[in-house]
Amino acid sequence: MSPEQTEPHVPAQRTEEPDLSGAATTPAASPLLEVEDLKVHFPIRRGIVVERTVGHVQAVDGVGLSIDAGGTYGLVGESGCGKTTFGRAVLRLEEPTAGRVRLGGDEVTALKGERLRRFRSKMQMVFQDPLGSLNPRHNVDMLLSEPLKVHGVGSKAERRKLAVETLDAVGLPKSVLERFPHEFSGGQRQRLGIARALMLRPDLIVCDEPVSALDVSIQAQVMNLLDELQDEFGLTYLVIAHDLAVVRHLSDRVGVMYLGKLVEEADSETIYENPRHPYTKALLSAVPQPDPEVEATRERIILKGDLPSPANPPSGCRFRTRCPWAEDICAEVEPEWREAASGHKVACHFDL
Amino acid sequence: MALLEVEDLRVAFGASTAVDGVSFSVDEGKVVGLVGESGCGKSVTSLAIMGLLPKGRGRRTREPVQAAAAEPVDSGLKVAASAPQAVAASGGRGRRGGADVQGRAAFDGTDLLSLSPAAMRRRRGKDLAMVFQDPLSSLNPVVPIGRQITEVLERHRGLKGDKASKEAASLLDRVGIPDPLRRLKEYPHQLSGGMRQRVLIAIAVACAPRLLIADEPTTALDVTIQAQILELLKDLVETEGTALLMITHDLGVVAGICDEVNVLYSGRVVESAPVRELFRKPTHPYTVGLLGSIPRLDLPIHEPLTPIRGSIADVIRWRDGCAFAPRCDKVAAPCVDGEPALVGAVHAHRCVMAEEVA
Ligand SMILES: Nc1ncnc2c1ncn2[C@@H]1O[C@H](COP(=O)(O)OP(=O)(O)OP(=O)(O)O)[C@@H](O)[C@H]1O
Ligand SMILES: Nc1ncnc2c1ncn2[C@@H]1O[C@H](COP(=O)(O)OP(=O)(O)O)[C@@H](O)[C@H]1O
Ligand code: SF4
Ligand code: SF4
Ligand SMILES: [Mg+2]
Ligand SMILES: [Mg+2]
Repeated sequence: MSPEQTEPHVPAQRTEEPDLSGAATTPAASPLLEVEDLKVHFPIRRGIVVERTVGHVQAVDGVGLSIDAGGTYGLVGESGCGKTTFGRAVLRLEEPTAGRVRLGGDEVTALKGERLRRFRSKMQMVFQDPLGSLNPRHNVDMLLSEPLKVHGVGSKAERRKLAVETLDAVGLPKSVLERFPHEFSGGQRQRLGIARALMLRPDLIVCDEPVSALDVSIQAQVMNLLDELQDEFGLTYLVIAHDLAVVRHLSDRVGVMYLGKLVEEADSETIYENPRHPYTKALLSAVPQPDPEVEATRERIILKGDLPSPANPPSGCRFRTRCPWAEDICAEVEPEWREAASGHKVACHFDL
Repeated sequence: MALLEVEDLRVAFGASTAVDGVSFSVDEGKVVGLVGESGCGKSVTSLAIMGLLPKGRGRRTREPVQAAAAEPVDSGLKVAASAPQAVAASGGRGRRGGADVQGRAAFDGTDLLSLSPAAMRRRRGKDLAMVFQDPLSSLNPVVPIGRQITEVLERHRGLKGDKASKEAASLLDRVGIPDPLRRLKEYPHQLSGGMRQRVLIAIAVACAPRLLIADEPTTALDVTIQAQILELLKDLVETEGTALLMITHDLGVVAGICDEVNVLYSGRVVESAPVRELFRKPTHPYTVGLLGSIPRLDLPIHEPLTPIRGSIADVIRWRDGCAFAPRCDKVAAPCVDGEPALVGAVHAHRCVMAEEVA
């Protein structure tokens, strides 16, 4: 057994680089994850005897982003815009149609077989539905040890020790090891889901709607937990969620997706204070605030209609069928992904 | 007199009490909210008012969608048939055995809880209607949506043929569905989630009910679609004077649409107040905890959240003390010394440690 197989991977980013510039208070972070022009197209098949491909669902259609080590990138957008598919493609749980994914400089998209399998331990996923993602017939001990077994890590005793440590980190007592998923509340199950993702001590965790199935008070517990674990284990997060307040709370950089593409990206603070893309503006204006005084005066941009089909996206700007500011050019020319201000990217023909 | 007056409503499933003495009222043209976490009794309260809980023992508590579809097309029945699914989905897990319902739910003076099933069926859809959280399981999958609407129109308003179709199209138009004539011929699966919810609202308002109960009507929807649906509901209340009982767990939705709010915990109202009062001066520790748990777009970024500890599984029985005590930061000896009472009139709370309010 090679050394890296006998112990869980320790992310290199945990020891911070000394700050040589002297100017910045935080060291210049290097990207842990770099994604370039990622596409995932699903074939639409028809026919009973002979199946033929009649088109493609362009679930993800050219998304590029990078996440600094130790950072949190929040990906928001409406249902069906391609968030989950993007997250799965990053982890190679979905085969990308095109594009490149690099993790810590290694090209994930080029890996195959055993190397891919080993690489997977560096990237884990936390799912929306904690129950659906846990085998109901496995007790917690088995659920937590399984990823280690798959990767041939440690002896039985070592695996158990790690399981207990990890449970402790997510705020569950050792006594739950013998219990089964259905014996837990939603919030506890999500803690288990997080513990399972942590077992291999990954560098990157993709959290797909980590709190949306939970009650309000439990959501806050889990969000705080994700925060704590990030510091404790030096984690980098890609948080996928449709709740803009959740994403703002967790992320330091935010990307807004619409119909398979990013339409805007900026620092969390900037994007919420100064949204530039019409879709981002509409999304933000649609979130009801828990304050009747604010609600009484909140200006809403009510969008018409629904998300168009990703199998047949509108020409030009994909948002044009719902955009209150659309003009003729929007149907003809696709807006380029441009840097409208330092660190603030947007795909719209206009400066609104 | 309020249009709907619920008094001391109690619902038990066998030995377990789901709703434990809930009272509130809804005036015409007003929106009253029921807020709380899953399992606190919101859906059971609304199903009890609608007469949609399985009654008596040994009756089926769940009917598969297919069984409903095989019946003659009848949207009134369909709603009735799908309600137990809503119960099952809301945590009943298809447990058998009926619900024991007690108390009063007076609608315009008549106690709905004492009506015969037939009398209740005549009122449902006409006087009072309900919109469920999951639009797909509330619609009949094998019947075009047009027919599901005209069925209600025929049943309660006697409209037939062309007249009914025209009215159905205008209802769809009213709830903001483009190209309504084409949509009438489509089946539920051909519509998006937001459109299905709008169809359900169209069916619910087809007979201009005086009371509409909406159980988490936007929970399954995206924010931009949620905004459309909330506008639609507000418009109904304002223009038609419909009374709306809004069930939600989202305090943002409450702040945006409700006039009065009842916060439920473990089957009881723990705080009730006019909406501005509630947010200005939340008094019950549970309400305070809920407000501290939500990240807000209008506060500085990365503001720490102050969640409530534990989960709803950590409860004690109300008769032994405050059910919230195991999770409460303010807990003290008097809290576990018998039942805390709901005190106050306009702004009421059920907490022995809170100071007297309004
Ligand atoms: N295996 C698949 N085969 C075909 N189409 C798919 C597949 N998986 C996803 N899609 C389609 O790709 C698009 C993006 O789906 P995806 O699940 O990534 O959306 P999402 O942004 O995560 O939405 P949600 O917020 O609802 O989770 C959708 O139109 C979806 O129907
Ligand atoms: N058909 C049923 N049989 C038994 N228990 C039920 C049934 N329906 C609901 N319950 C229980 O009643 C309580 C309140 O449920 P519900 O009103 O659905 O909660 P919510 O506030 O989430 O809508 C829960 O404990 C739930 O498990
Ligand atoms: S490019 Fe045109 S349609 Fe697209 S967001 Fe900008 S204004 Fe709207
Ligand atoms: S009665 Fe006691 S335990 Fe209950 S909410 Fe008030 S302070 Fe907390
Ligand atoms: Mg998804
Ligand atoms: Mg419910």
